[in-house]
Amino acid sequence: MSDINETEFALEVRDVSRTFGARKALNKVSFDLPKGAFLSIFGPNGAGKTTLLRTLSTLTQPSRGSSAKVLGYDVVKDAVELREHIGIISHNSLLYPDLTAQENLEFFAELYCIEHEQERIDELLTAVGLKHRSLDLVRTFSRGMTQRLSIARALLADPEIIFLDEPYSGLDPHAMDILDQLIAQIRDRHTFVMVSHDLEKGLELCSHALILAKGQVVLFKERKDIDKEEFNKVYRETVGLGVS
Amino acid sequence: MKGERVKKPIKIAIILMLVGGLLTTAAFLMAFNTAEVQTFGTVNLTKAQAAASNTVFEVAPANLQPIDGTINYLRPWFSQKIFYFHVPFAEASFLIFTVAAFFAVMFLSKRRKSFDTKSRIAMEVAFLFVVATMITGDLWTRASWGMWWDWEPRLTTYLIMMLLMLVYFVLRNSIEDEERRAMYASVFCIIAWIDAPISFFITRIIPSQHPVVFKSGMATSNLVPFIVAQVGMIMIGYAIYTLRVGEEQNRERLEIIKEAIEN
Amino acid sequence: MARELDYVMTKKPKSEPEQKSGSLNISGWRQFKAILRKDIVIELRTKEMITSMGLYALLVLVIYYIALSNAGSNFETQRIAAGLLFLAIVFTSMLGLNRSLVHEVDQGCLEALLLSPIDRPIIFFGKAVGNLIFLLIVEVFVTPLFYFIFLSSAKMQNSGPVWMVAIALVVGSIGIAGVGTLLATMSVNTKGKDFMLSVMFIPIMFPLLLAVVAAASQAIMGDPGYVKVFWQMIAAATAYDALMIGASFALYEFILEA
Repeated sequence: MSDINETEFALEVRDVSRTFGARKALNKVSFDLPKGAFLSIFGPNGAGKTTLLRTLSTLTQPSRGSSAKVLGYDVVKDAVELREHIGIISHNSLLYPDLTAQENLEFFAELYCIEHEQERIDELLTAVGLKHRSLDLVRTFSRGMTQRLSIARALLADPEIIFLDEPYSGLDPHAMDILDQLIAQIRDRHTFVMVSHDLEKGLELCSHALILAKGQVVLFKERKDIDKEEFNKVYRETVGLGVS
Repeated sequence: MKGERVKKPIKIAIILMLVGGLLTTAAFLMAFNTAEVQTFGTVNLTKAQAAASNTVFEVAPANLQPIDGTINYLRPWFSQKIFYFHVPFAEASFLIFTVAAFFAVMFLSKRRKSFDTKSRIAMEVAFLFVVATMITGDLWTRASWGMWWDWEPRLTTYLIMMLLMLVYFVLRNSIEDEERRAMYASVFCIIAWIDAPISFFITRIIPSQHPVVFKSGMATSNLVPFIVAQVGMIMIGYAIYTLRVGEEQNRERLEIIKEAIEN
Repeated sequence: MARELDYVMTKKPKSEPEQKSGSLNISGWRQFKAILRKDIVIELRTKEMITSMGLYALLVLVIYYIALSNAGSNFETQRIAAGLLFLAIVFTSMLGLNRSLVHEVDQGCLEALLLSPIDRPIIFFGKAVGNLIFLLIVEVFVTPLFYFIFLSSAKMQNSGPVWMVAIALVVGSIGIAGVGTLLATMSVNTKGKDFMLSVMFIPIMFPLLLAVVAAASQAIMGDPGYVKVFWQMIAAATAYDALMIGASFALYEFILEA
């Protein structure tokens, strides 16, 4: 346990598979991601992107023979501790509509057993620009506001790695801008892993890109090594592969 | 994966099926021919005793005939014969249910799909036997008490068990995702397995008008067909199970081949 | 906003910033309280569960009236009273159990819960205790109403003390809430939802219901020797609760994983 955090890698994925009977959702996926990087995962529907994200965020366990370490923590053995350092932003709001913004954040703060939670909640609400609505029910929020609150929730425990599951889906351009800004602010000290169908956005933001198809890694490159046209070609081919 | 080894269990299964069938038939014949017509559970009670303690001994109100102040209860011939099958069916079904629960536990700990498949098939076979239990049990109550149904403890428990198994299949049907289906089904199988014996005990101890059937021993010549039937039935159960497992495995292999061709 | 978020991110939320793994001081009790409190606040605000459960229970009472309306004035209602009462509670509780889980699945909140450093059993207890509280609240309203409507004219001279019936209700409710939470968490993820819950619920609850109805019946009827039988039944029901809730607790994490 002693040298868990000494790793320079945010993700160390080795032969991660997820099989059930004959079906292989993930098939020997391997790659490494250094800390502070921004990984965009692309791929057709059913390629295993969400499964990979769920496995890395400890929601599901990989099959035997897999090894995955996030921030040096093993996703199976050190799952509980790992969760303290994970934040997630999804296309679902992950918020309770019948609670106020304040109450939602209080609830999650309690779950993470955060000290001095009131201060932190206030700071975050102010930072995402929702302080004036803190006593309103989330049910009354617009999609963009919900997403902002969602970000506040994700950042409550100051996670080192943030998973984004199609965060832009359903957002209008204004809300997308705000999300972009917020991500840009916290870009520095955090690692990001994003699943997105938006090729432009994903490439723009990322430092590393991964294409998955049928549960396997088709391409994994650093952004600087990517030739846009070649990438487009591979992407179109893979998306073509997925349609059957 | 398994290849040649699959053939052997199937051969064994077929043999067992035949042997089991033979044994059960033999038991059937023995039951009707060689076993003595025992006045099963003949009990001599004074009338007062009979009235007060109807939860201990078999009492069929319609058949009580006071003789010199005591009551002799003679079981009718046919219903006793049914008993030779009813109880073995019942015991075999619970045994197979236990096997299903065992595989469910194995699945939850190892997450291999084959365990879930085995659990499901065991449940199917157990269900078959439970239905057989219910049918024979129903015939028995008809023959002994003259009614088609009675909420007596064993029958009630088996009704509940049958319902639990039906629910198991309904549950499986209502989940699309394969892994979730296997997980939920395994959990339900285990909970149901714990519930069945509890049902049995509680139905026995609640105060009610219905008597608890209490076995009071059998003569040796009766024991033989009983045991023969029991063994025969377990063999049949195992045989059906194995054949089905083989069938499932073949089907899965077919799926794998299909997918491989499509790629 | 730019500067604010950046500023916020440089401040550590933990009180001892130098701790490494396990740096948050995780308290299961705090998490449990949070879940319970959240459910209660949501319920107080929307009053969804309690109103629908209460209304449903009343409707069931009306149906009872219809069923008994032609039974004649000599009909001894107290013989079946325990059964009727518990029947109303069973149906009402199935309604409530499902609703409490729907909240979680709605916006994917259950996943957010699962991603936090919480032990799965705490989620189970948080939800189960919440369900129990709501069930007890509904019972507090429905039971006196039931007595008033159906048992006031019945011959209740021999009847045992009311607190015995209360005990039967509580022991039964504990079992219903505990095992029901497990079953509801499963059923909310299936195609059938409500139907699936009721169909799983009844065979599994069967022995518990038999025992508590028997106990309550003894207390209501007050036949000679009822005290002993009452406690026997309560013992059986408690055994059920202990075993089945233990099993539900152990199996809950598997349900959450899927």
